[in-house]
Amino acid sequence: MSAEAGMPGAEMAGAGGLGRFARRFAEDRVALFGLVLLLVIAGLALIAPFIAPQNPYDLARVDIMDSRQPPGARAGDGFTMWLGSDGVGRDLVSGILYGLRISLAVGLVSGLIAAAIGMTLGLVAAYAGGRTETLIMRLVDLQLSLPSVLVALILVALLGKGIDKIILALVIVQWAYYARTVRGSALVERRKEYVEAARSLGLSHARTVFRHILPNCLAPVIVIATVQTAHAISLEATLSFLGVGLPQTEPSLGVLIANGFQYMLSGKYWISFFPGIALLVTIVAINLVGDRLRDVLNPRLER
Amino acid sequence: MVAVWKGAALAAALVLGGWGSATAMELRIGLAAEPSSADPHYHNLTPNNAVARHVFEALVDMDEVQTMKPGLAESWKTLDDTTWEFSLRKDVKFHDGSPFTADDVLFSFNRVPNVPKSPSPKTAYVRGKVIEKIDDHTIRIRTARPDALMLNSLAQIEIMSAKAAASASTEDLNAGRGTVGTGPYQFVEFVPGDRLVVKRNDAYWRGREPWEKVTFRFIKSDPTRVAALLSGDVDVIETVPTADAQRLAKEPKVALASALSNRVIYLHMDRLRETSPFVKSKDGSAIKNPFHNLKVRQALTRAINRPAIVERIMEGEAVPASQLLPDVYAGTSKNLKPVAYDLEAARKLLAEAGYPNGFRLTIHGPNGRYTNDTKIIEAVAQMFTRLGVETTVETLPPAVFFSRASSGGPDKTPEFSMILAGWSAGTGEPGDSMRSLLMSFDPQAGTGSANRGRYSNPQFDQLIQKGFATVDAAKRAEIFASAAEVVMNDVGLIPIHYQKNTWAAKKGLKVTPRTDEYTFAMSVRP
Repeated sequence: MSAEAGMPGAEMAGAGGLGRFARRFAEDRVALFGLVLLLVIAGLALIAPFIAPQNPYDLARVDIMDSRQPPGARAGDGFTMWLGSDGVGRDLVSGILYGLRISLAVGLVSGLIAAAIGMTLGLVAAYAGGRTETLIMRLVDLQLSLPSVLVALILVALLGKGIDKIILALVIVQWAYYARTVRGSALVERRKEYVEAARSLGLSHARTVFRHILPNCLAPVIVIATVQTAHAISLEATLSFLGVGLPQTEPSLGVLIANGFQYMLSGKYWISFFPGIALLVTIVAINLVGDRLRDVLNPRLER
Repeated sequence: MVAVWKGAALAAALVLGGWGSATAMELRIGLAAEPSSADPHYHNLTPNNAVARHVFEALVDMDEVQTMKPGLAESWKTLDDTTWEFSLRKDVKFHDGSPFTADDVLFSFNRVPNVPKSPSPKTAYVRGKVIEKIDDHTIRIRTARPDALMLNSLAQIEIMSAKAAASASTEDLNAGRGTVGTGPYQFVEFVPGDRLVVKRNDAYWRGREPWEKVTFRFIKSDPTRVAALLSGDVDVIETVPTADAQRLAKEPKVALASALSNRVIYLHMDRLRETSPFVKSKDGSAIKNPFHNLKVRQALTRAINRPAIVERIMEGEAVPASQLLPDVYAGTSKNLKPVAYDLEAARKLLAEAGYPNGFRLTIHGPNGRYTNDTKIIEAVAQMFTRLGVETTVETLPPAVFFSRASSGGPDKTPEFSMILAGWSAGTGEPGDSMRSLLMSFDPQAGTGSANRGRYSNPQFDQLIQKGFATVDAAKRAEIFASAAEVVMNDVGLIPIHYQKNTWAAKKGLKVTPRTDEYTFAMSVRP
């Protein structure tokens, strides 16, 4: 394996590298479709306040007289509820658009924080070795041996409700994945000559780790990050479905699905169904992108 | 040829036999909540009491509308204001064949306060009662003060066999050792998380029940319970989810039975503190607790559109409430009507009270304790927000909610500013509800035990005390009714609605609905 092939991070840095990367990504039509879908979803979520017919978080606008209306019904305020309304009269189109915002934000923010913490600890473990490494990696093992839903459930039950607490719980269940991945790559990088060169030039430990080793460990992190973001979104939905997640009056997709669950048998399928579809499509899109990223960034699959 | 016919006949017999045993002899009931024990004195909880009444009986019985009637005591009289004499039935035998006597009553009364590790004992029902055996079938009960609720209390105490249960622990009773009563059914087994089974007591003194065997299955999830009924896994289910009631009513295979419940859903307001932790001005600064102002309380109760909640959230499975118990019960006030929705009047009251711009409020409540509880709070939050009181909702798992709502604040005070809760009048009269929810909080005197708003009104307290000391039923009802008017006109709490209890059974079974939420095999007739 050549040094270049082992350093896809460095390869991506150049403009030519990026173009090549994009071309390779686009070779898979399905992944491209996933990416476009993801961009559309993210775009819709971003501009939700401007396109949603109702602000579903403003209780003065949500009216129980509009509750449980089928798709296409007209709301008291005059607009048409294309996907119907839920049990308290929230328009589902608006609810889903706003819910996507929360779901994506929770997934991304918790992913970024977890990545930052996990990468730092992983690098420190790999670079320092010895007791530090043992301590950090046993912590990672402990974390990974517990089911993430259970850990998140306990944390949220202890911390209480709220978007910040959900994010904190998701960070705690996710950082270990990043730490383990980064440590694996960093262990390989640490023994390479450029690290030795950096050290003999008298660079500090911190500079060596973050400016030289880290960029070369990024490829697998990007892959893990996409998978974990999808995981975080579905975990948030699970927690909300179980009633310990986000507040009822500011529903994420999980809360919307949970709200409709009791109506499933009584024929009012739309209350759970449409938010469920939105969640499904989002996660599938992220996973399609993640899968392709893994293929493109994996040096062993380099042609 | 003969062999073939024999085989066919056998197959037919098997099919018919299987069908017959499931329909004619055995009754399978899907319960929404699971009893925590088969020990009748262990935990004063609706599912425990309901299941216990199949095996055990009390001296006084309550019918489906909670009217007192003779149970194991065939008659009673008051010798004076503080002494009651009860004549016990002479023809009653326990399931093990031993006769029922006054000793069993004494044994049961002594056992009630002494059940180890009881999470919610029935001690309040025997406290202050001195019981004395006159002969094998006569007992006298003395109290220090007149006790108007003597019969209601006795109806809560299941009589166990002094012989069979002498040294039985709660664990023994769960396993069927000493689970011996006088009731219409005998205990067979209790499998926590799955089922409780009883079989018919053929020697029952009121006459045999139609069901040879009754299996209670615990099916907590609403859609699953409905599905179990529709698929024929169970014959009867309790607590039909409101979302499914209308659809089941149209289902030809199913019959519904519903009764107005003795459970009221209400809002309690913080009346303890001068500044309440979850009330803020619109700019987020602390303000004086607005709930001390009567006009604010009147504005809030007027801003609630009760018919809309009943129709849109409860789907008709509730009735707008005017007080703590529906006015079909004695002791309630017929003059009180549900407060009518009038947003303009409510806004005016709020402005007059000095809050023209409203304030911010968080309502707390349980998720999943009462029918549609979270949705009701959301609907109330919508209505308050329209009034100008910007309201947010926080729901918590019931166990967490109740402990914090009762004692989560500093010095074990209630933590929240406004809560949604429900109260079921187990005694079948309003005195106990008013004493628990609205009398001044005093743990020594046992008043205000569920007064999480810490409402306190000396005039009201006096009326309730007077009512409890009045043994004459008609006079007592009058006093309680006037107490209800005092406290409701002062908006001591905000009643929202009374629940309806709905059962669904497969066609052909007749269920007599009960106001006390108890699901009895005795209420089901083929």
